[in-house]
Amino acid sequence: MKHLKPGLVHVPVTPFKADQSIDYDLYAKVLEFHIANGADALALPMQQAEDVSLTDIEVRELLAFAIKQVKGRVPVIAHISDPGTGIAVERAKYAEQLGAAAIASHPPYFWHPKPSMVVEHLVQIGKGVKLPFYVCTPVVEDAGTHMTAEMVLDVVKQLDNIAGVIDASMRFVFMVEVISLGREIKPDLQFIAGTDFMVPNATVGGMGALSPLSSVAPKLARQMFELCEKQKFVEARKLQEQMAELHHLIKKGGRAGLKTAMRAMNRPCGDPRLPALSLGEPEMSLLAQRVAATAYLSAEPRGW
Amino acid sequence: MSTVLEAPAAKPAAKPPFVLKGVMQAPVTPLHADFSVDYDNLAKMVDFHVRNGAPAIAWPHHKAESPNLTMAERKQGAEVLIKTVARRVPVSIFVGSLSEEDSLDLTRHAEKAGADMLLTISPYCRRPTQEEIFRSITRIGTHTELPILTYNSPWRNGEGVEFTSELVQRLIERLPNYIGMKDASFHSEKFTEISRVALNMRPHFSIIMGLEHLLASYPLGACGSFSSCGAIAPNLCNRFFAALEAHDWPTARTCQYKITKLYRLFKDQYPSSLKGAMISMGRDAGPIRPPLPTASKERVDFLCKQLEILDVFNTEPHGW
Repeated sequence: MKHLKPGLVHVPVTPFKADQSIDYDLYAKVLEFHIANGADALALPMQQAEDVSLTDIEVRELLAFAIKQVKGRVPVIAHISDPGTGIAVERAKYAEQLGAAAIASHPPYFWHPKPSMVVEHLVQIGKGVKLPFYVCTPVVEDAGTHMTAEMVLDVVKQLDNIAGVIDASMRFVFMVEVISLGREIKPDLQFIAGTDFMVPNATVGGMGALSPLSSVAPKLARQMFELCEKQKFVEARKLQEQMAELHHLIKKGGRAGLKTAMRAMNRPCGDPRLPALSLGEPEMSLLAQRVAATAYLSAEPRGW
Repeated sequence: MSTVLEAPAAKPAAKPPFVLKGVMQAPVTPLHADFSVDYDNLAKMVDFHVRNGAPAIAWPHHKAESPNLTMAERKQGAEVLIKTVARRVPVSIFVGSLSEEDSLDLTRHAEKAGADMLLTISPYCRRPTQEEIFRSITRIGTHTELPILTYNSPWRNGEGVEFTSELVQRLIERLPNYIGMKDASFHSEKFTEISRVALNMRPHFSIIMGLEHLLASYPLGACGSFSSCGAIAPNLCNRFFAALEAHDWPTARTCQYKITKLYRLFKDQYPSSLKGAMISMGRDAGPIRPPLPTASKERVDFLCKQLEILDVFNTEPHGW
C-alpha cells in the first residue's frame, strides 16, 4: 500500500448548469482554484459536493475528469459511499484504475444495519482495492449509521490497507478512543478532521483536515491548519472561532448556503441539484451581505 | 435561513470570588451495606479529594447517584460536604432533580448551608424546549444570590437538556450570577459555538467539561473538568491539568488517553464499576442503590487487574 499523508484537504463542490447537468468547464475552474489556494490534496465528491445527488456514472465521470485535470499535482482522494456494498466496491476499483490516491467511505447510506454489517460493508470496499483506505464517520445529526469506536477498531483490525479515519462526528470521546486504542493496533493510524473544526481534532492527536469551507476561506483554513501543525492550539483559538462563525453562517442554508457564500466571493457554482432547493432571494441576499461584512473574509480571494 | 449568532457586548456581572480551573472532583456517595448513606465516609471521601489537590468539590452529580437520593439525604450530604471542606476550596451543590419545586427547595437549602455555587439543569426526562429551559433556569437563578452553573446534557436525536449558544446568550443577559456551565456535549461544533459566544460576553464564564473529556476543548476555552476517575487516580488528574496549563501536549495526550482507558472501565453501569474499583484502592464506598447493580466480586477482581495493568497502584494513593 502506498503511504499518503493528506495534510490540508480541500473539498470541491460540484457545479451544476441550469439544466441540472454537471458544469465541467466550471468544475475545472473549481479544481484549479483549490490547487492554487493551498490544497495539499483534494477529496471528491464529498457530501458538500452533493455526492448522493450524482448517479453512479456521473461519479465515475467526475472522478475521471478531476484526476485528469489535476494531473498528479496533488493527491485526489476518491469518496466512494453507497447503500449497496457491491456497487461501492466496483466504484472503488474504478477509482483505483483512474489513479485516485486513496478511497474514503462512509457507512452505507439509508440502511440501519447492525454494527457487524456496517463493518463488513466497509471492509469489503477496503479489500476491493490496494489503495490507502479511510473510514468516514458521519455528522452525528445526519441520517444513517452511527459509528462507534469499537466498529472503527474492528475495521482497523481487518484491513491491511486501512490508513485512517476521516471524522465528521466531532465527538471528543470517540476521537480519543479511536486515536489511543487504534494506534495500539496500527501505530501510524491517521485521524483526520472531516470538518473545519480542526483544532480539537489536532489537540487530541489527530493529523490533517478536510476543509469544506476552503471553498470560501482558503487562507483562514490554511492559517489554522499550520498553527495546528505547529501544535499552537491555544493560539489557533481565534481562527477556530472565526471558522465556527462562518460555519454557522452557512450551515442553515445547507448545500445552498455554501454555494451562496461562494457566489458572494465571486465564485458562482450554480444552484444545488434537486431535491435540494436554492435559498430564496431574501435569504440569499442576507447571507451575501453577511459574508461581505465579515471582516476576516476581507483577506480571502475573490473570483477564480 | 436564520442569521448567525453574534456575541453581543457583555452585561457587567460580578466577578465570582473564586477562580474555577483544574480537574475538580465530584465525589461518589458512600453507602452502608444496608444502602443507607454513609455520611462518615462521605466526609472521608471529600477530605481525601481536597488533600489530593482538588481545586473544587461538587456533589451530588449523577456519579453520586443523585437521582437515587431523597431530598433529605441530599440536604444532609450537602451539609456534611460544606462542613468538611471548611472553605479550603469552593463547593458546588447540584440541585437538578425531576421536579422544579425540589430544585428550588435544594437551592434554598444549599444557600443557607453555605455552598459557594450551584449546578442546575432544567428538570430532565421531558425533552424540554429551549424556552422551557430558559424559564426554568431563570426561576432558579433569580431565586438565589449564589453563582450558578448550568449542566448542558444533550443526547443524540434531540433528547436531553441542551443549552444552545442562543440559550446561553439569553441566560447571560438575564442572570448576572450565571458564571458557567458543565458541558457534556463533548462535541467540537457545539462546544466551540457555546465558548465563542459565552466567553466573548462574559470572559470569566467557566466552561467545565463533564467527566474528564477535557483535552479537545481546553485550547478553545474550557477551564477544567468534573472528574470521574479522581476517586481512583487523583495524581493523574493533577498531572493532566498541569500539562494542559504548560501546553505540554504530548504529556496531556498521554494523560488523557490513560484517563479515557479508566473511564472505559467505569462507564458500564456507571458508577457501579467506579465504586468497584475504589475497593482495590482501599477506599470502599459500599454498594450501589438499585436499579443499578453493585459490582460483583468477579467484576471487582477484573477491575483490580486492569488497574494493575494501567500502573495505578504504583502511582496513586491507597486508602483514605
